Amino acid sequence: MDLAPKIVLPLLQLIVIVGLAPLVKGFINKIEARLQNRRGASIFQPYYNLIKLLRKDAVVSETASWIFRATPYVTFISILIIALLVPVLSSAVPANFTGDVILIIYLFALGRFFLALSSLDTGSAFGGMGGMREMMVSTMAEPALMLSVFTVSLATGSTNLGNITSTMVDQSTILLNPSLFLAFAALAIVIIAEAGRIPVDNPFTHLELTMIHEGMILEFSGRYLALIEWASSMKLLLLLTILVNTFLPWGIASEMTFPAMLISFALYVVKIGFFAFLIVILEMSFAKLRIFRVPNLLGTALVLSILAIISLYVVG
Amino acid sequence: MAEHLFIISIILFAAGSLFALCFYGWQRVGNYISLIFAAIASCFGIATAVVVLSGGSPVHIDFHLLLPIIKYNFLLDPLSAYFILTISVISFVACIYSLGYINLYVGKRDIRFLGFIYNLFLLSMLLVVSANNAFVFMIVWELMTFLSYFLVIFEHENPANRKAGLMYIIMAHIGSGLLAIAFFIMFTYAGSFSFDDFRQVASQIPAVYKNIIFFLVLVGFGIKAGIFPLHLWLPMAHPAAPSNVSMIMSGVMIKTAIYGFIRFYFEFVTPCPPWWGVIILIFGAASALLGILYALQERDIKTMLAYSSVENIGIILIGIGLSMIFRSYNLMALSSLAMIAGLYHLINHAVFKCLLFGCAGNIYYSTHTKNIEELGGLIKRLQVTAPLFLVGALAISAIPPLNGFMSEWLIFQSLLNGFNIPSVLIKIETIICGAVVALTGALVATCFIRAFGISFLALPRTEHAKHAKEVPVIMYVSMGLLAGLCVFMGIFPAKIMMTVNHVSSHLVGINIIKSITAYDWMQTKMVQTNFTGLSPKSATVFGLMLLAITFGVLTAIRPGFVRKFYETWTCGISPEPRLEYTGTAFSRPFAVIFKGILRPTLDVAKVYSVPNFFVKSMTYVGGITPIFETYLYTPVSNFVLKASDRVRWIHTGNIHVYLAYIFVTLLILIMFFR
Repeated sequence: MDLAPKIVLPLLQLIVIVGLAPLVKGFINKIEARLQNRRGASIFQPYYNLIKLLRKDAVVSETASWIFRATPYVTFISILIIALLVPVLSSAVPANFTGDVILIIYLFALGRFFLALSSLDTGSAFGGMGGMREMMVSTMAEPALMLSVFTVSLATGSTNLGNITSTMVDQSTILLNPSLFLAFAALAIVIIAEAGRIPVDNPFTHLELTMIHEGMILEFSGRYLALIEWASSMKLLLLLTILVNTFLPWGIASEMTFPAMLISFALYVVKIGFFAFLIVILEMSFAKLRIFRVPNLLGTALVLSILAIISLYVVG
Repeated sequence: MAEHLFIISIILFAAGSLFALCFYGWQRVGNYISLIFAAIASCFGIATAVVVLSGGSPVHIDFHLLLPIIKYNFLLDPLSAYFILTISVISFVACIYSLGYINLYVGKRDIRFLGFIYNLFLLSMLLVVSANNAFVFMIVWELMTFLSYFLVIFEHENPANRKAGLMYIIMAHIGSGLLAIAFFIMFTYAGSFSFDDFRQVASQIPAVYKNIIFFLVLVGFGIKAGIFPLHLWLPMAHPAAPSNVSMIMSGVMIKTAIYGFIRFYFEFVTPCPPWWGVIILIFGAASALLGILYALQERDIKTMLAYSSVENIGIILIGIGLSMIFRSYNLMALSSLAMIAGLYHLINHAVFKCLLFGCAGNIYYSTHTKNIEELGGLIKRLQVTAPLFLVGALAISAIPPLNGFMSEWLIFQSLLNGFNIPSVLIKIETIICGAVVALTGALVATCFIRAFGISFLALPRTEHAKHAKEVPVIMYVSMGLLAGLCVFMGIFPAKIMMTVNHVSSHLVGINIIKSITAYDWMQTKMVQTNFTGLSPKSATVFGLMLLAITFGVLTAIRPGFVRKFYETWTCGISPEPRLEYTGTAFSRPFAVIFKGILRPTLDVAKVYSVPNFFVKSMTYVGGITPIFETYLYTPVSNFVLKASDRVRWIHTGNIHVYLAYIFVTLLILIMFFR
């Protein structure tokens, strides 16, 4: 690979992730509304919201410190770095050398760290409550996440997402390994929790007693809110991308030609759309769990991922 | 070369300690001089380590002092040098920090003793990691314990501190006793106390005795390291000591136990069977998880940091244990990798734990409280300390690109490589360990979000916090050095790994530096394992580039962006500290989730003005049950007390009877060992 694709491809990845993320959110909202017999807002509504917010000034709490003002940037940038490391359209990821899936997990942690801090920064009890709950959910999700990632890494011999995808494409029989099914199930549960969807968190609520992620970002406004909203929709898209391109990588471009990229992009949109639809179905069929039931759900994910590892070692 | 530097360092420490004693009238000056001597001595210590680590061969130093029959042997090999480096770096910074911190005591109490003991304590640690003779080792080991004991009870008017000191000295001596037995068993086979002979004798020791030595050393050094369930003294003693001492105790003193583990398990009793490593791994994982669970429930910031030291010792032990397992299966390259991971985490922990204790000291210095529930809003008052604490918190939570992330990443990579182990059971154990490390990492982040968020952010909860003022410049400058180190060691891991590689290649006998570092296509140095590569440097550069672009775009969209300031919405009443989320509330859900371990207790009492109808006041007492104290230590100490009660009749208080005892003992000894 010469130098040009190495510069073009990361930019392309960034554009796809940054550009499509609000659309995924709009798509989910729209379908959900239709299934509830509502017309729902336009599928492009998240874009309008972002543009409106970006044009506004921000109101900042007098109590808050520079942590509060730095948080949106830290969150946004950490997600953008992840967007460089995840295979989106091509299994070749030029920024591969920067880091692997462990770095990605800890970059998510970086954003979360600052968000939880700024939830305490404003001095409102809602913020603290949201921050505490977010940390609780993500803490309980962490071991299952790590183990399911380990299963995939051990099956493919790499922790690097680009290499994992290309191994999956080259040796498609790996995918028939039963342990990968278990890992997939565990990862799916973790993604629901990490992205803050029902049944773990309800992204539409603004009731103090039920909100998690929304509670943390209650005090943000204007540009700051836009960055955080954008980052959280990118996080959802990235998590889905990791799921899709690890377990269902068919059709992903392996060389840098225009038609290959086009097919890859089309398939990518279809796959993400499919999973977004599944999320909608899930959100339609379940109620939000009580907060102390969430550890049980994530415990299920942990057990699944432990079984995945054991079956990988025992069955081979 | 190295020996001269080392001896100069020893002399400077000793001289410095005397200076502290000399000035009765000018105690402050005396302490300053002694601390400056210690700081210079630490520089010589660093120089010694650098000379040895940069390829010099191991240096033997022998003294003949006082008694001609005891040889004072010291050895500077790469392992010693690495620990000397860690100790010296931390003690250098701690001495600079102390220049400011001792103001807390000047004029209030006699601090000549503090300076005297402080210097000798630093010196004793250097000697512990360089002793090359079991006899000398035990002397300096005991010296280290005693000196740190005196520092723990420095504020002896507080009964809690005296109790902590007593606990420490008792437990430390149980440990020393077990170590002495281990050394005597080694002595019976080696025929001398020299570590050089210990290294040769491994093949002659029967397996049973090797196992006995393994457990003696595990408990003996384990008490000093504070591994669960031998940790009990640690969260009592470390907070009791002045902050400039606790940073040394938590940052480096407990690491001397790790040094002991490595000396024994990698040099004296080799080759070790796989189950030794598995036991170390299990203890490491248990310490990591339990340590952080207790830290999360703690309201005293220094106790919280002490528990977090237990957690980090656990992570270091995971690296060491894994290295032992790989070694016993003859997977030398992996053994070296795991060793590098463990030792990297060791120096990282020393740096950020010292930083965090320093910042906790700054908080105490300016607010006179260590309870996070009484703090709040310090970020606007301690404007330099706050970002420093944040760096420490991020580093210890393994957030990239700081140093904690690099070592945890290496630990994960080593654990993943557990698939090379032939035994399926151990394979699965390594992976479960991975899950524990992941869970621990997330809990650490929660714990430090809580510590930073509750004590530094929002509104001050008490008058102490409200009137806090920034500490003297020297105190935050010295901590700034450590914060800089946290960033440097995180962004340029290859440099640190090359240093650590000298140690692991010396111990394991295989040099893997070629296979763990590489150049990417932009020709920058990166770290790699058989699974992947990692370049925190480029991640940082990408991050900064993206930040610049984002900022540019945002400014283009809204050029005249302004922030308006308004009070936080608190449902219609004006914000006050009472409305803020508390640290206790922040960590309570974790006590509920992990109720099997933490056993949360809850006691709600109501006082009625009209019985059963109108509640006048309510009290709410929530806490956790310390299961180790309740179910392990209390029964044991009760048993010991009862047993001593039974045999007290032999203490008649009559000197003739005691003389008779001595006489009988002598007779028996003569009969058996004539």
